[in-house]
Amino acid sequence: MNNSFPRLIDGMCATLRTEVLSRLDDEFARGQVFGVINLLNTFKSRADWSTEFLSQQVSVQSHALEQVRSLIASLPHAPEVATLTTPSVVSPTELLSLRDSANLEINKLLDWLASAKESLPGATALAIESELRKSMRREIEIELKNSPRPLFAEMSSGQENPI
Amino acid sequence: MNEELLPVQIEDYLQEQTGHAVQVGPLTRFAVGFSWKTYLVPIAGGLPEAGGASELILRLGPSYGLFAPYSAMPEFLSMRSLESSAIPVPKAYWAGDNTETFGAPFLFCQKVNGAAVVPWVPANTPPLDEAYRKSLGTEFIDALAALHSVDWSNQPIAQMAQGINIENAALNNVLYWEKQIERWAMRPYPAAQWAIRWLKDHCPVAPRVAIIHGDYRTGNFLEENGHITAILDWELVHLGDPHEDIGWVSMPMYMGGSPHFCRLTEPEWFYQRYSEKVGFQVSMASVKYYRAFSLLKLAATHMAAARCFEEGRFNDLRMPAMGSQIATCLRQLEKTIESPL
Repeated sequence: MNNSFPRLIDGMCATLRTEVLSRLDDEFARGQVFGVINLLNTFKSRADWSTEFLSQQVSVQSHALEQVRSLIASLPHAPEVATLTTPSVVSPTELLSLRDSANLEINKLLDWLASAKESLPGATALAIESELRKSMRREIEIELKNSPRPLFAEMSSGQENPI
Repeated sequence: MNEELLPVQIEDYLQEQTGHAVQVGPLTRFAVGFSWKTYLVPIAGGLPEAGGASELILRLGPSYGLFAPYSAMPEFLSMRSLESSAIPVPKAYWAGDNTETFGAPFLFCQKVNGAAVVPWVPANTPPLDEAYRKSLGTEFIDALAALHSVDWSNQPIAQMAQGINIENAALNNVLYWEKQIERWAMRPYPAAQWAIRWLKDHCPVAPRVAIIHGDYRTGNFLEENGHITAILDWELVHLGDPHEDIGWVSMPMYMGGSPHFCRLTEPEWFYQRYSEKVGFQVSMASVKYYRAFSLLKLAATHMAAARCFEEGRFNDLRMPAMGSQIATCLRQLEKTIESPL
């Protein structure tokens, strides 16, 4: 996800109050909506993103950075590659921060590779790019594997089974 | 922007423009679009300055909308430029970017009859009726070829040229969207950065500089009985390489699980008919380039949606849902770049 967990909960509660309750007259249905708002607020104070898929993403990035570090170790004027230090117990917030730091590092390496490519041995340049791209691809695959089917048809039509 | 005051503000504005009193009925807001607000404005007795129309469309670009701050000028200039062309566009009457009049940039235009074809459909949705699809598909291709054939140099939209030519059209565009990503992304996306570099290194030369709709697809035109009545949503219009609109049309997101561009046309049919109508041969290398570019642009749009929601500009839950599709765009983007022509 690209939005924070608490903001999503706040947005859902606000939408239910302003867009749904304001158009809903049935007493029982209104009670159910308030029940949902109550539970959402409970989630906000007790739940967060799963650390499992974030850990997978960070692990992929960490592996890629290690590989690149060893590939460029013997090159003159090679940039320093940061090491991802993962504490034994981490919160989703820390994992998100680690993931973003790793991506910044990958961006820096992509910039360096673009400027240094001509002066690097062809095979080394290819291997570095391949490692970085493998990491990007895996990060995206992990995210997609943990995403439900989007409901754009329903969202744009307001119908359960639009044609 | 105060919606309760809107009918009175509209009456005052129209009176100022026409020089006579105008009576406005209750407004209806359309639930379409992710950015501009669209209203149906009934006019008692019709408006002679708008061909006697008893209904107008008013579009307002709120300061909290996706990609705000807005300007009504690109849409207004393009609609004005296409008034006498073969492209079905609503007539544009008045527009302005000042926020004193309605609290937001605004555009008044003709209300055209018709319904939009939904671009996104659930899995297992039956395909469109064949005759209907062919009829709409033909007009869909022909309208795009007509748009890309317009001599815009003496039209109002020439104000947007800003030194564009066939050599710099692609790079200018990539630089613009790179800036948008810098503005909207809430975290680093190496896949986007890698793709931007690829796009900068592979800029094609355009066959001509044409008016580009920028969001040409199902959902952005109206149809009635299998015929297109109006091409809408010109907010992203600009001048550029005609292949850009083809790249957008060909994105997998708009195929609705069918083998057809925008659920309407077989790719080969599209390329062949479009080439015949527009007067140059479609370059498959340029289509691939602009499909990749379009996926980057769509990812940027989703990044904007996620950020606007996160910053609390609105609580529209479709926005974070759009934001969750960034990974899908980036995956398709890499696949496109890696694909043969």
